[in-house]
Amino acid sequence: MKTSTKKLSKQEMIESKPNKIIMDTLANEPKVWIIHLIATFIVLAIMYWSKGAINFRGIQSNGVVIAKNIFTGLINPDWSLLLNLTRQGIPFVLMETLAIAFLGTFIGAILAIPLAFISASNMVSKHFTWLGVFIIAAIRTFPPFVYGIMFIRVTGPGPFAGVLTLAITSIGMIAKLYIEAIEDIDKKILESLDASGCNTIEKIRYGILPQLMTNFVSTVIYRYEINIKNASILGLVGAGGIGAPLIFAMSAYRWREVGAILVGLIILVLIVEYFSTAIRTKLARG
Amino acid sequence: MINFNKVSKVYPNGVQALKDVSLKIEQGEFVAIIGLSGAGKSTLLRTINRMHDISSGSLTVNGHEVNKLNGKALRRFRRKIGMVFQSFNLVPRITVIKNVLTSRVPDLPLWKSLIGLYSKQDKIIALEALDKVGILEKAYIRADQLSGGQQQRVALARTLAQNPEIILADEPVAALDPVTAGQVMDDFKRINKEMNISVIINIHHVDLALKYAERVVGIRAGEIIYDGPATEVTEEILTQIYGRKISEDELMGA
Amino acid sequence: MMNILKNIFQPVLSIFIPNDIKLSNGKVVKPPKPITPYIVIALIIVTYFSVELTGFKFSTIIQRGNQFLVILRRMYPPDWAFMPRVWKPLFDTIKMSVLGSIIGCALAIPFAIVSSTNINSSKITLNITRVFLSIVRTMPTLIIALIATYIFDIGTFAGTVAITIFTFGIVSKMLYEQIETVDMEPFVAMEALGANKIQAFASAIVPQVLPSYLSISLYNFEINVRNAAILGYVGAGGLGLILDEQFGWRAYDRAGVILFTLFITVVVIESISRYLRERLA
Repeated sequence: MKTSTKKLSKQEMIESKPNKIIMDTLANEPKVWIIHLIATFIVLAIMYWSKGAINFRGIQSNGVVIAKNIFTGLINPDWSLLLNLTRQGIPFVLMETLAIAFLGTFIGAILAIPLAFISASNMVSKHFTWLGVFIIAAIRTFPPFVYGIMFIRVTGPGPFAGVLTLAITSIGMIAKLYIEAIEDIDKKILESLDASGCNTIEKIRYGILPQLMTNFVSTVIYRYEINIKNASILGLVGAGGIGAPLIFAMSAYRWREVGAILVGLIILVLIVEYFSTAIRTKLARG
Repeated sequence: MINFNKVSKVYPNGVQALKDVSLKIEQGEFVAIIGLSGAGKSTLLRTINRMHDISSGSLTVNGHEVNKLNGKALRRFRRKIGMVFQSFNLVPRITVIKNVLTSRVPDLPLWKSLIGLYSKQDKIIALEALDKVGILEKAYIRADQLSGGQQQRVALARTLAQNPEIILADEPVAALDPVTAGQVMDDFKRINKEMNISVIINIHHVDLALKYAERVVGIRAGEIIYDGPATEVTEEILTQIYGRKISEDELMGA
Repeated sequence: MMNILKNIFQPVLSIFIPNDIKLSNGKVVKPPKPITPYIVIALIIVTYFSVELTGFKFSTIIQRGNQFLVILRRMYPPDWAFMPRVWKPLFDTIKMSVLGSIIGCALAIPFAIVSSTNINSSKITLNITRVFLSIVRTMPTLIIALIATYIFDIGTFAGTVAITIFTFGIVSKMLYEQIETVDMEPFVAMEALGANKIQAFASAIVPQVLPSYLSISLYNFEINVRNAAILGYVGAGGLGLILDEQFGWRAYDRAGVILFTLFITVVVIESISRYLRERLA
């Protein structure tokens, strides 16, 4: 190492004699590399700390077999279950998942409206926006599945609990996006409506709603897409949807059934995602 | 020396960009290529470092048959040819000196360029290049925070740090205001004179071409219409090249 | 009689098929076909079926809604004596999120590069990776975790695998969307000065994408801490496991301690991450 630096400086002398200003500029190079080094060190330290807890006890003795079974189940699912149109079939559970997500999103989207209006800085005095913001933060405190467990105490196990869970957990994100849309409102239109003699309700109907509508609809559709995935895990806590049959099939080691459920879920999510993206792009382009 | 011998270029979509172009450029010349947009100026320039392939004819640059170069040999060949672009093509978000240092990357191991580990020698080369275009004091500023003229100088410094024999400049001042354009052209001229680097420049502004270049090549629809000293370019020749009288926007008034 | 019917139906009908508007100068303006009324009707139908399918009842909410508050009320005062048993699962949760995020983000890089239309010109490899990534993204974390517990046994390793896969799917997409917005001109400049494609990518594209990549990774880490907390429910380690236990025993005051700790942790991690992301922007 030492010899190479020596060599280099010799080479410098021979090749060029850099003037003083250049050498000064070189010496003034900001020392960003120190920050980078510290950041890298911190990340490595955190990684090392985390490593301690990940006790890899090796793949379970039959883990490889199970992985293989799930994979073959995915490739060759239980078709009779996938195409079974009765209440035991996958299409029914998927419909149920769609319905849970739909009602949950719908209720959440409606509850979020008043919350968003009292939290938008251009609608209420700055001193009151904290209330809405606090409510949103408070709701977000609990993970969704905790709400699921709590609502099961209210409604008993089943999709109803799922609906309530999704309604509550959707409020936070939907309200947040609503607030952004409301704060972007062009208030000049309201002035011109004032000038033409509109009352408050007419101002909201013709001045505010048209500006918010596309944005709100787009938000709700996006949340619906997310809620499909959320609805599918609620079954794991007994709150309806496709999660429950999945957990049963897995604990009974019925891998082709597992495959059929996963295939159904994948197709459902892909279809919803496709339409959601298509509608939202159309809305964005007007 | 750059030698075009009956070079033609047809794009895959059937457009003939160059027709039977024959042209010889000696080391150290300052050549301006003028013509309408779409006349083939950019194609002509980009065949020299094989950013575009030629369809027929032969093109040699400093003894290399350009169309036979591939892979490593092509990249080694390109090290000796600098290129300056209309939109500067600097990497945003990184500092001026790092932009200049990117021209040292082909000689470095990949991991060194990824974490920005350049030798002191490379840094000195980069700073000297910045000094030659007069923006040494901007070395540690982010490139996207500079004005257009300063950015083009950074691009020029990047090219100089490559220690090129030829500089190809594709509309280097088209995005700049007249005063800045003149300053950047001065830089090209100085570099051409002091370092004996050939400068071949595509330029939209006829007055700048006539003022700075020794030699002017006029092309129209892929063919060379005029090739001679800048001092001998007349009104009629320009009318021939452009197919009409020169309009105001082709003059910059620099 | 007919007249009365007509008087009722005419305005209703005109919502769906608006009448032509005659101007005083005799010109006829055809109004555009409205879509809103159809959407409203579709929504009403879908709502009806969803209510039927899910067994949604307002009366239940009114009669038993207080049960929800009962649980909340029993969380207070929290049983702080339980705190010592919260630390380990809490750290497990954080450790799973850290490792899962880092590995997932690293795995995402090559897949994002192959999925970027401006870098990869091969339509076949591009579409194969994109379809693969979409399928990975359809899987909710909890379901991946459930499967992972069957393959790797119950514990934090399964959780880490789940977080890794989830992170990989979402970061790949966010990253290729970023790569597709970069300025390709410096890449051309690098090729012109004799760099090969890898060198050109490293020097011209990486500096443009790196800040957003780090920002995406941090944002994902935030999401993962929340996600990791619930994975214990399927046996994949962390807070979810004891949370489920305490809920099962109706020890709500202990569940309160867990939820409070989780809340503080999430707030602290989000604040740090947001501060870092603002500095990166």
